[in-house]
Amino acid sequence: MELHLGLALPTNPFSPIGYEGPFYTNVNTSNGSCSSGGGAGGSKKRRGFDEETRVVPKTLRLLLWKTDQPDDEDDPNDLDNSSSSSSAILKNDGEGLVGWPPVKAWRKKPRRHVHNGRGRGRANNNRMAASKSTYVKVKMEGNAIARKIDLSVHGSFESLSSTLMRMFNITEEHWQKSFKLAYQDREGDWLLAENVPWRTFTRSLKCIKLIRR
Amino acid sequence: MQKKVACSFPDEVLEHVFSFIQSDKDRNAVSMVCKSWYEIERWCRRKIFIGNCYAVSPRMVIRRFPKVRSIELKGKPHFADFNLVPDGWGGYVLPWIAEMAGAYPWLEEIRLKRMVVTDECLELIAKSFKNFKVLVLFSCEGFSTDGLAAIAASCMNLRELDLRDSDVDDLGGHWLSHFPETYTSLVSLNSSCLGSDEVSLSALERLVGRCTNLRTLRLNRAVPLDKIANILGRAPQLVDFGTGTYGADLQSDVFSSLAGAFSSCKELRSLSGFWDVVPAYLPAIYPVCSRLTSLNLSYVTIQSPDLVKLLRHCPSLQRLLVLDYIEDSGLEALSSSCKDLQELRVFPSDPFGEEPNVSLTEQGLVSVCLACPKLQSVLYFCRRMSNVALVTIAQNCPNLTRFRLCIIEPRTADFLTLEPLDVGFGAIVEHCKDLRRLSLSGLLTDRVFEYIGRYAKKLEMLSVAFAGESDLGLHHVLSGCESLRKLEIRDCPFGDKALLANAAKLETMRSLWMSSCAVSFGACKLLGQKMPRLNVEVIDESGPPDSRPDSCPVDKLYIYRSVAGPRFDMPPFVWTMDEDSALQVS
Repeated sequence: MELHLGLALPTNPFSPIGYEGPFYTNVNTSNGSCSSGGGAGGSKKRRGFDEETRVVPKTLRLLLWKTDQPDDEDDPNDLDNSSSSSSAILKNDGEGLVGWPPVKAWRKKPRRHVHNGRGRGRANNNRMAASKSTYVKVKMEGNAIARKIDLSVHGSFESLSSTLMRMFNITEEHWQKSFKLAYQDREGDWLLAENVPWRTFTRSLKCIKLIRR
Repeated sequence: MQKKVACSFPDEVLEHVFSFIQSDKDRNAVSMVCKSWYEIERWCRRKIFIGNCYAVSPRMVIRRFPKVRSIELKGKPHFADFNLVPDGWGGYVLPWIAEMAGAYPWLEEIRLKRMVVTDECLELIAKSFKNFKVLVLFSCEGFSTDGLAAIAASCMNLRELDLRDSDVDDLGGHWLSHFPETYTSLVSLNSSCLGSDEVSLSALERLVGRCTNLRTLRLNRAVPLDKIANILGRAPQLVDFGTGTYGADLQSDVFSSLAGAFSSCKELRSLSGFWDVVPAYLPAIYPVCSRLTSLNLSYVTIQSPDLVKLLRHCPSLQRLLVLDYIEDSGLEALSSSCKDLQELRVFPSDPFGEEPNVSLTEQGLVSVCLACPKLQSVLYFCRRMSNVALVTIAQNCPNLTRFRLCIIEPRTADFLTLEPLDVGFGAIVEHCKDLRRLSLSGLLTDRVFEYIGRYAKKLEMLSVAFAGESDLGLHHVLSGCESLRKLEIRDCPFGDKALLANAAKLETMRSLWMSSCAVSFGACKLLGQKMPRLNVEVIDESGPPDSRPDSCPVDKLYIYRSVAGPRFDMPPFVWTMDEDSALQVS
């Protein structure tokens, strides 16, 4: 059984009704059974799709849509990564998906103007001015997977450390004994985050690493 | 109705009657009764809401409604919040301000959302509207504090200045001192998004002190904790207060003056801010907690026990925004303390982590839904969900109007049964008959869309990501959801068929966004060709879509209805598909 649908144009007195264009077919609003697609995890079940309850305006029929053949489920224009979850995730240079999860990341654009002779100034320094968001990468030595944290919610090393401890499942004791906080600054140099004021740290850092003593 | 009865009412009487009709829908209905009512109504319409600034042109609005006093405009699509809309896309408000400067000298209110506002715009506003009262810039960008200084200096009747979530070039707090010493009308100030470390505290304190009608004050992070007492002392009548930084070394004198200042704020109902919280200072707000109806703790990175201690003092709470540090145990405690809860938003503290960093699961949400019968609005980020939890939520909270669930890992199945979450979301739309907004996540087949199309008759906005299996999913939504106005889709295998088959539906909606789907360039061209009242815009930063075959999918597609025709302010990476199906490249 087939599901036929046409290009449903709005009905107005001036649109040709029953237009017979090159793609004209009979519109049979029959009870169609549509097989569900293979997709990621869905099982193939036949479902009834009750077309008759929908009021179908007289339309310009441009499209014939058959859905009883499994082949038709694969849209020829399907992106090759849309059914594979792992490859979809590694867009954006392996940094993760753009815009997912949907959290409002603070977007910082390079400032174009110099206002009244005043320099741009690092005015917004409790946000990471150069990057597009306040999230920075954190790596733990010996651990292949990098994490990301939102620096804008922290105002001190204490706060940052306790979050990192939770993130990497390190106890306070273990942290004091075995780890040091290091960071890479904008010039690419690696520095220890000891005896550095918090503000200097956040302004100049690019990414963080936990190194073992 | 006899003609002579209709003519026996002078226009002024009808105008007076119409002045009691405030809602846009009702006003639109009034204007369609007959020609004379259309004429009378258009001359006395004072307030305009334009949900998409490209749906109509400023000139068309001005021509029809010559006496507008208040305008609200929205620009970029919602997914711009998540960096899916490239910079330079559009949403410029300057053309509107420029036209209105001449046409509406008595304009009092401008409310903008996701629009590009420049200092030039702000200066023009300051110069052109003598009785300007309200400026709300919600998630806007493109301006600096210099523009704000112009507003402060010129708008003697300014009541409300709200910059929520806007991206402002903050050049320091000096703009505040541009409010003249004689200026006292401020009722609401929200500058919480300003990012500079500098703020002119003395100007702020003087401003707050002389504006005795101030009801809302939301400070930015630069205002230190030890200044709060002084500020609150000058404004004990505040209803809505947002702190700046709420952390410092604990000092008992600072604490006691802070607590004293909060106690004298008898009208305080809403608190926010709380950057860099030091838990020891939280008890200073206890005196006001019993009356609080709204609490925004989304910057508070303290652990669940401290959060619970605070929340136990807030039995009147109706609205809570909090990080997932609250955990299931904290939400359970919330559900027993705050029976009047209407809105809950739980944000992820570590959204990009692969493992959960906190013990927050579907249980937290379920416990709130079981215990808080008035719950209407939910935004919840978590890492696992089950159909049985969703069914429980649906059955216990039939009054939900907004339900947005984000399971952080795309395509996550029901953790108990490993099945898709179709049945769970189906229960939500079936039981929550007044649902207006829904965001889906997790593993979902076309079946969930069948449920949505069948049951979600009041749904106005739907957000879909990594869901569905075929065009049938999209077809269910477009053909079934009668009230649908906004549909935004990303990374779903929806292609041409459903879109073309439901083209007429698109004219009944405000907009459709599809990115990383399977809609071909050819289909976009066809749609643009056949539907003159739709603007079909293809966004592709990798180059002109006609350099590839028609069957190639487009990267991003934004379709919206418009009576203004295609726009002309598009950047190079946006193409409009129009009647001659020729590319319009700006």
